[in-house]
Amino acid sequence: MLSPVTNAQDPTGAFCSSPGAIEQVRYGCSLGALASVIAIPGAIPITHCGPGCATKQFHALSGINAYQGGEFHVPSTNLGNQEVIFGGADRLDELIASTLKVMEADLFVVQTGCIPGLVGDDVGSVVRRYQKRGVPIVVAETSGYRGNNFTGHETVIRAIIDQFVDAGDAPLQHGLVNVWSLLPYQNPFWRGDLAEIRRILEGIGLQVNILFGPASAGVAEWRAIPKAQFNLVLSPWLGLSTAAHLEDLYGQPFLHEPTIPIGAKATSAFLRRVVAFAGLDRARAEAFIAQEEKEHYVYLRDFACFYAGSTSQYRLPSQAIVVSESAYNLAVASFLVEQLGLNPGPFVISENPPEELRETIEKQYRALADQSGAEAVFEQDGKRIHQIVRATDFTGELPIVFGSTWEAALADEIGAPLVEIGYPCTDEVVLSRAYVGYRGALQLIERTYTTVVRASTMA
Amino acid sequence: MALNLKTPQVETRDQRLGTITQWDGRAGQLVKDSAFTYGCAKGCENGGRRLCEQSTPFAQASMCAEHIAVTNATIIQDSVVVQHSPIGCAASQSFTARYYRDLAARRGWKLEDPKSICTNLGEQDMVFGGVSRLEDTIRDAYERHKPRVIFVATSCATGIIGDDVDGAAKRVEDEIGIPVVTLHCEGFKSKHWSSGWDVIEHGILRRLVPYPRTKQLDLINVIHLGGPDVFSPLLNPLGLRVNLVMGGNTLERLAQMSEAAATVTMCFVLSYLATGLEQEFGVPEVRAPLPYGLDATDNWLRDIARLTGTSDKVEAVIESERARIAPELARLRKALTGKRGFVAAGAAFAHGLITDLRELGVTVDDAFSFHHDPTTDSGDPQQDSLGHLVDAWGDIPNYTVSPDQHFQAHAALLRAKPDFVICRHTGTLAVLAGRMGIPVLPIFYSNDGLGYEGLLTIGRAILRVLPRKRFYEDVAAHSSFPYQPWWLAETDPYAPITEPT
Repeated sequence: MLSPVTNAQDPTGAFCSSPGAIEQVRYGCSLGALASVIAIPGAIPITHCGPGCATKQFHALSGINAYQGGEFHVPSTNLGNQEVIFGGADRLDELIASTLKVMEADLFVVQTGCIPGLVGDDVGSVVRRYQKRGVPIVVAETSGYRGNNFTGHETVIRAIIDQFVDAGDAPLQHGLVNVWSLLPYQNPFWRGDLAEIRRILEGIGLQVNILFGPASAGVAEWRAIPKAQFNLVLSPWLGLSTAAHLEDLYGQPFLHEPTIPIGAKATSAFLRRVVAFAGLDRARAEAFIAQEEKEHYVYLRDFACFYAGSTSQYRLPSQAIVVSESAYNLAVASFLVEQLGLNPGPFVISENPPEELRETIEKQYRALADQSGAEAVFEQDGKRIHQIVRATDFTGELPIVFGSTWEAALADEIGAPLVEIGYPCTDEVVLSRAYVGYRGALQLIERTYTTVVRASTMA
Repeated sequence: MALNLKTPQVETRDQRLGTITQWDGRAGQLVKDSAFTYGCAKGCENGGRRLCEQSTPFAQASMCAEHIAVTNATIIQDSVVVQHSPIGCAASQSFTARYYRDLAARRGWKLEDPKSICTNLGEQDMVFGGVSRLEDTIRDAYERHKPRVIFVATSCATGIIGDDVDGAAKRVEDEIGIPVVTLHCEGFKSKHWSSGWDVIEHGILRRLVPYPRTKQLDLINVIHLGGPDVFSPLLNPLGLRVNLVMGGNTLERLAQMSEAAATVTMCFVLSYLATGLEQEFGVPEVRAPLPYGLDATDNWLRDIARLTGTSDKVEAVIESERARIAPELARLRKALTGKRGFVAAGAAFAHGLITDLRELGVTVDDAFSFHHDPTTDSGDPQQDSLGHLVDAWGDIPNYTVSPDQHFQAHAALLRAKPDFVICRHTGTLAVLAGRMGIPVLPIFYSNDGLGYEGLLTIGRAILRVLPRKRFYEDVAAHSSFPYQPWWLAETDPYAPITEPT
């Protein structure tokens, strides 16, 4: 057994204890949040860390994770012996100064790695000198030993809000929403998904700061954060601390929707809750929903021909196993169980959500499909995840696995098709594909049942 | 200078070889200034001067030695790698797994994920130390997978907090009875990631190569970076068997290295192992210039034949190979002559690719090397691959040494205006070239350019990517880079970085 250590995470980040050794790693470290900065159009991370740290994080999260690509020409101090011995603050100062001469950006985010944390560089005072000169630059402490890229993401967002976004006296803008949802790059489909989320929210009459990705206007959206009427947290836990912080800062209320909607039923219900919360024009929203549903259900009607009729030779799956970070796990599990009518298998959540939020996540699963017996399991170690899946009773069922590339061998072993939905995702090339909302659901069905048919015909 | 195999830590390339990572100028000048001819030490008879590394205040993210060492430990069969580090260092597990599965498919090994476990150190461990967690994880690695060897890799964090990794490894090794090999690969210790090759080769030499019981006079060690076996077709006709090592090994192959008749390396950056085998076990290292281009391949085969007593067969092999490739080589030369190529790769490998391109009739006036070693571990001038290239094929007017820096590569490509780029590592250079509208041939498996067949492999691959100019130019027209205008126009990779005017 791996060393018994607690899962407890001190929310202040002080003396975090590690959750124990991990095989088949499913996330990056705090510094990996540099991917979140890269996901903001016009922002550039400046990394104060060892050589290899920034490259490894981005290559893991983007390079081989659905081959997402992205702007990786990140300044780095590439710390060496000298800085480890004598400190690296001067080197960082030199790097920032030269970065400003060579590179062009609307926002620079200085991120620290393990080395400056351990040798005690005073990074804050270096960066503050530039802030005083009016340089758009912030600093985020993202030492790799302090958490993963999920917590690093929140640290980076907090740094931008506190050090860059200026409340000023901008008037509140009714109908403007800040969206806090999927973790960029970690989730291979985040670009397409955020575009779809933006589209449907605009459809019901909102203006949207989507904040990350090609569908975002970039740093201008971040500057507009204080003007928003409310914050929408669209994930089981990620973004909650940001929304609470914004409530403290600007008195912005927030709506927490733990389950990212997939499919017409879930999406329309979600949109109606948003309409009610934000006090939007109901008639306009209903007209949008009606048009979306009309189109959507024509596709489902036609898919029903496949699902019901022409498929008796294929082994249509009956039981869903989902292994992924919680946001997609809950979204996909809900869709499969409630809308496609699959039985719940083990749903393994792999990103180590904060202890205090786990109970609320578990509740979401237990509520699925009239208490159909769905259970969330929290586990990050690949070996133990696979033991959990293997121990499942598949009697009479045809299982299908939604997971990462680490589940390929496991799926093979239990004779189940695999649909890759999470990091690491090395057998998919993903550009703008979405799996959420109205349109995403259709693509998820396409991918799922193409995989099923292939498993039957190419075996 | 003898290699020191007594200590678990390898001396870095910076210390042993005087490796530099920043330089720009004529390749001929770099040759003169390097230690092979080492003008200054010997009174500057050749006009050389002390090799001075250039510098720039700006830098972009680079790679580290840990990455190289851990990747190459992970792809050894029947091993488990324990990364004693915070979780971020283990982010490479996913791509190492892809690499291993691809190798396994090519080599006919069992198709499975390689085994590696990260101790996942937290802040508490930074304060109180992570040694007991490491010992538990090594034990658990053994219980889970029953490997035949366990590697323990250090990280920047564990190097700084000073965990006694060797002590922990030794204690558990005594308990479980298989070798637990430590790899000291803290990224901050060396300026260049290629030090990671020395780390894994040092570990293999110290712990996994036994003293030979017998000699296998027809066995030749071939040290390569990974990929298909292009060596057996060349060496089997001489009656030699190839023991292909590095880039994915069985433990048996590693153990046999000390029994072999000789060792060749396909890249002198990897020659620590070859030098160590000669020093510790008396296995001679073939030092002939690397087999890129027709003449060098002829001479390389002759040198191997001389060392293995097979000189009577070698001329026939050379003649038949040259005849075999002649018609296709002529076709490729016709298609490629007059094209301008740009090469970007690590030291000796870059030199080899330039030779290939010139043999194919491509003009190469610009190159980009990720580091430069002024000497090799053997110290033999025959292994001066850059010197050999300049002597045999002429100078390279614009030779840039840079650790894969995007901003410098941008300037170098703007200066070179090549018709295509050929590069190793698909990180910075490949995507940069593509987005500048230049077709690019990235090489993952670096055996592609070796020997006679390598000329055909490379030539055909270039012809396959040239038409992609249509795609890349379209992308280039619709994208930009986040540099200040003055740098976007800069063509000197080492232009002083001052206030924009």
